[in-house]
Amino acid sequence: MAASTHHASTGHPAGDHELPPVANTMMTFVVLFMLAILALVVGFSNMGEWKVLANMAVSAVQTTVLALFFMDLRKADPLTWLAVASSVFWLGLLFLFTLTDMLTRHLAVL
Amino acid sequence: MATNATVTPTTTSEDVGPAPVGHHFYSLRQQQDSVRLGIWLFLVTELLFFGGAMCAYTAYRIWFPREFEAGSAALNVGIATLNTFLLLTSSLTVTLAVRACYDGNQKALAKWLALTITLGLVFLGFKAREYQLDFAEGLVPSKRLMTADQQLGHSSILEEGASQVAPKYVFVHNLEEALHKAGYKTEGIDLVRVQLFFMFYYIMTGLHVVHMIVGIGLLIWQLVLTKLGFFKYPARYVYVEALSLYWHFVDIVWIFLLPLLYLAGPHSAGQVITGLQQALGMVSH
Repeated sequence: MAASTHHASTGHPAGDHELPPVANTMMTFVVLFMLAILALVVGFSNMGEWKVLANMAVSAVQTTVLALFFMDLRKADPLTWLAVASSVFWLGLLFLFTLTDMLTRHLAVL
Repeated sequence: MATNATVTPTTTSEDVGPAPVGHHFYSLRQQQDSVRLGIWLFLVTELLFFGGAMCAYTAYRIWFPREFEAGSAALNVGIATLNTFLLLTSSLTVTLAVRACYDGNQKALAKWLALTITLGLVFLGFKAREYQLDFAEGLVPSKRLMTADQQLGHSSILEEGASQVAPKYVFVHNLEEALHKAGYKTEGIDLVRVQLFFMFYYIMTGLHVVHMIVGIGLLIWQLVLTKLGFFKYPARYVYVEALSLYWHFVDIVWIFLLPLLYLAGPHSAGQVITGLQQALGMVSH
């Protein structure tokens, strides 16, 4: 069955997604490099308690760029997207319930 | 290295025919999709694994914000900065390895895999040097107390007129010295609690190092497979892609460890240079 769907000129099965061109990969690297510099600039700044939030925002953007382009999540099938979305959802629940408990359990009862 | 799919590969599919398909798959395409989904499901468990550690870190940092900043201020931000760019560059080289395999260019595949392994090993080398510097400074959580003689040797810790020296943790003394060198003021900070930060620092970076070692081992294995001709079928690029996904995930973990551990405290660009000089033994720590 594999032979019937095999693309003789490329060696790849019919319907398999194409990888992004090398130029796109290099552009992604440059963007990630600039974001890493931005993370350091924010880290060395004196933003007080906002610094951690700004740093987490930069890290989230870096992760998104890396996942979409280097990990090629843009062209992933729906099942992969479901797996990624569920992990983010469960991670959100983990943080939500843990922090809800620890930030409220010592509140005075009115 | 081939720049796109239309460039003539060194080993074409016409030379070798279609890649073999496992007996339990209907087609090569289904086999490839299964490999991709399998590695993504594994990464889901990895995300929750590191997520648990980061959630605990968040809870304790909210409780002890100044203590976590103090702990961060004592870390070597120079090595962390260098390692950030090393790991980022290795993400590029492993992506280029996937591309080379996809194009059927086994020579380029071997080159990019070898470069990724080298960058990973340099990262680990600097990480080991960082741990060595931390141990040399005594920044290791422990219950060990200073002896009376040790305390008397540091007159600065004796209160004026005190008839007896109060017990003091060795860790607290070492941390005070490290923070003094970093120009960080310790008034109002519970230095004993800073040990919590260092527990997170060692465990989180240690787990990251374990993942790096596993990744490098798998990269070496794929380099051996390349030499043995396993990747003569371009369709087998999906195995390199699966490993690259794992490697990118390890990079993402570092993207969060850098600000949470190294950039939590006050640091300056000048400390990057000093930290690197310490790492290379150009200045004493």
